Formats: sequence, C-alpha cells, structure tokens
Amino acid sequence: MQQEEHSLIKQCVEGNADIYAVLVERHKDMVYNVAYRMLGDADLAQDLAQESFISAYNNLKNFRYDSKFSTWLYRIAINKCKDYLKGKRQHVPIDEISETAFTKANPEEDISKKQIMDKVQTAINMLPEDYREAIVLKHIEGLNYREMEVILNLSANALKVKTHRGREMLRRLLKEMGVLDE
Amino acid sequence: MNKNTDIIRKLIDGEFSHEEEKTVLKHIESDPLLNDELNLLKKTVRIVENCERKSAPHSFTSEVMRGLKPHTEAKRQGILNFFFRERVLRWNLAAAMAVMLSVAVLGGMFFYIQKKDILISSITNREQMITIRFEFYSPDAKSVSLAGDFNKWSIDEAIMKKQDNGIWTMEIPLKPKIYNYMFVIDGKVWAEDPKADSYHDDGFGNKNSVVRVSTS
Repeated sequence: MQQEEHSLIKQCVEGNADIYAVLVERHKDMVYNVAYRMLGDADLAQDLAQESFISAYNNLKNFRYDSKFSTWLYRIAINKCKDYLKGKRQHVPIDEISETAFTKANPEEDISKKQIMDKVQTAINMLPEDYREAIVLKHIEGLNYREMEVILNLSANALKVKTHRGREMLRRLLKEMGVLDE
Repeated sequence: MNKNTDIIRKLIDGEFSHEEEKTVLKHIESDPLLNDELNLLKKTVRIVENCERKSAPHSFTSEVMRGLKPHTEAKRQGILNFFFRERVLRWNLAAAMAVMLSVAVLGGMFFYIQKKDILISSITNREQMITIRFEFYSPDAKSVSLAGDFNKWSIDEAIMKKQDNGIWTMEIPLKPKIYNYMFVIDGKVWAEDPKADSYHDDGFGNKNSVVRVSTS
C-alpha cells in the first residue's frame, strides 16, 4: 500500500496530475473528519480539507518517501486548522458558548444521540488547541502515540500528558453539560 | 501529573500488563473518589470514540482537482508537446524545394559564422556541472545516503562513503542552482547538514538543508 502510494506520488510529481484524484479519493474522509473535529464547522472543514490537499499537491516534490502519505496529510491538515484557529484567535468565554450546551438534560428525559454528539463537539471546540489535536488524533482517529509524534512533532511523553489533560477537561465539560451521569 | 493521575492515564492508555492492571485496579477500587474518576474518564473516552465519522461531500475530489496547478514537470511536458507532437502538414514540391534551399543557405552561413561560438558554448555547457563535496560526521552510522531534490529524494541512490575519521563523504556533479537535501542515516533517520549554506522550511515542520551551486 505504502509503496503503491509512493509510486502514485512519483507519477504526480512527474506531471501526471490526474493520478492525484486517486490519492484524494482515498484520504478525503480522513482529512475532512479531522478538520471537522478540529473546527466544528462543516463548511470550514471542507474548505480547509480541500486546501490541505492542494497544499500537499503543491509540495509533493518535498515529500520524502520515508513516511506514509496519510501521516503527511494529517500533519498538513492539523497545521491548516491550527493556522486558521490562530488567525481567528477568538477565545469564546465558556458562558457564551452555546445556549443549549450546558442545559442539563432532565433525568427522566432521554437526550438523543444527536444532542449528545452536538454537546461532545461543543466540548471538543472548547479544548485548548494542543489538547484538541491530541484528543482528535488519539480518540477520534485512533492513532497511537508513535504516529502522533511524527504528525505533531512532539515527544510521546508530552503527547500522553496533553491527551490525558484533554480527557480530564472533556470529562469536566461533559459532566457540566449533563452528558456524563454520576 | 501526580502519581494517581499517572496510574489512571496508564490504565486508560493500556500501558499496564495484565498482572499489573489487576493490582492497580484493587488499589483504585479501595478509594471511591479515584474509582469514580476512572469510571468517568473511561466513559468520556467511550463517548468521544463513538462520535460518528464525518464523510467529505461528493464533489470534494473534483473541487480539489479543479484547484490544482500543474507541476513544473507538467508545464515542461506541455511545452515539449507543443514542439514535438505529430502534425499533418500540407505541402507541394515547389514550396518544399524553396524551403530546403533557404534552410541550406542560411544554415551554411550560420555554421560558418558561429562555428567558433558553438565550440565555446559546448565547452561552457560541460563546465556548468560543478562537483560538490558533501560531508557528514556520523561515526556510529552503518550507512549514510544523500537524498535531495536532485535525485527525487531517493534514499538509496547516493550512498556516501565512510572515511576513517567517521566522516561520510560524497561528491556529485550538479548544475548551478539551489538544491534542498538531507542525510539519511541507516536508511531511516533524516538529518540536516550542520554545515549547510542555509535551511529551508517546507511549511510542514520539516527543515531541509540547502546548497547553492554557482559558477562564481
């Protein structure tokens, strides 16, 4: 698989741009999902995921063939999202986040799966960027710390701490939102 | 991170052996607060991991493909195609003879006048390849190769030679241009050249070494 992808990349660099569609098709859901979870907005996620693929294509000649293409894409997509978030720099105070996010569900009333998912995404959006990227890669993408080291350029130990602090913060937020029962 | 937090983290990350986990869980179960914390964290992880995966819209790939600009190689290929693609030409004998005669006369004159310059030019072209010596100190490495945009970042094309002093060397002829490169130790570890002319960030956190090859 990796060798086959490297061969596709070489063909793109040599000028066969159409081949790139195979790579986009193969990885589009992964990149889109990461962008969506990092940003919490479908339109924005689509824009940044597409920009990630275009950036990757424009820099294919710098691809070093020592890692998986997907690892490289994760890195580009995460950096795009972080650049966007840095540019935005809108730290929304917790009490202004959402009118419904912190409304505790009536214990007798079943909160729907969709409501839970919305609240989880709201909570993810409230994490600091470094905890958010760690949680998204570890628990949504299911990567291991070794893969995360390469993508985020941080040591496994630092990532373990960030991931765990992210979990603790999520636990607190989800509890306040009424998603976690005692 | 305090000791109990680290224990809980290791439990969630599955870092304990089966036996260790049994002992640790006994310790946690004896402390209701710690036990609650572990259960809530496990539940948090379960909820996050069960988030549905979002799929990209159907038009995603075609929109990306529309946004691509051709690579330099593709542009070069386009220019080559313009000059070398097959064409159907209509001709007649008189016009062809006139063209051939004109080419022969002009070509002969050009060759006579430019003969000396052509010779100089071909010598200059040969001289434009400049041999660059790369050196990298890595006494413990089993192999070191040179990968760069001049060899499409191949890690097994340019294998360097180890000297007695632990310095790996290689000389390669290059045209005057700016090149990005890296050393690859034992086929897997990428290292910058501490003596590079400069460094270039590829925009994704990687820093390539840069060599400027010039005739001056």
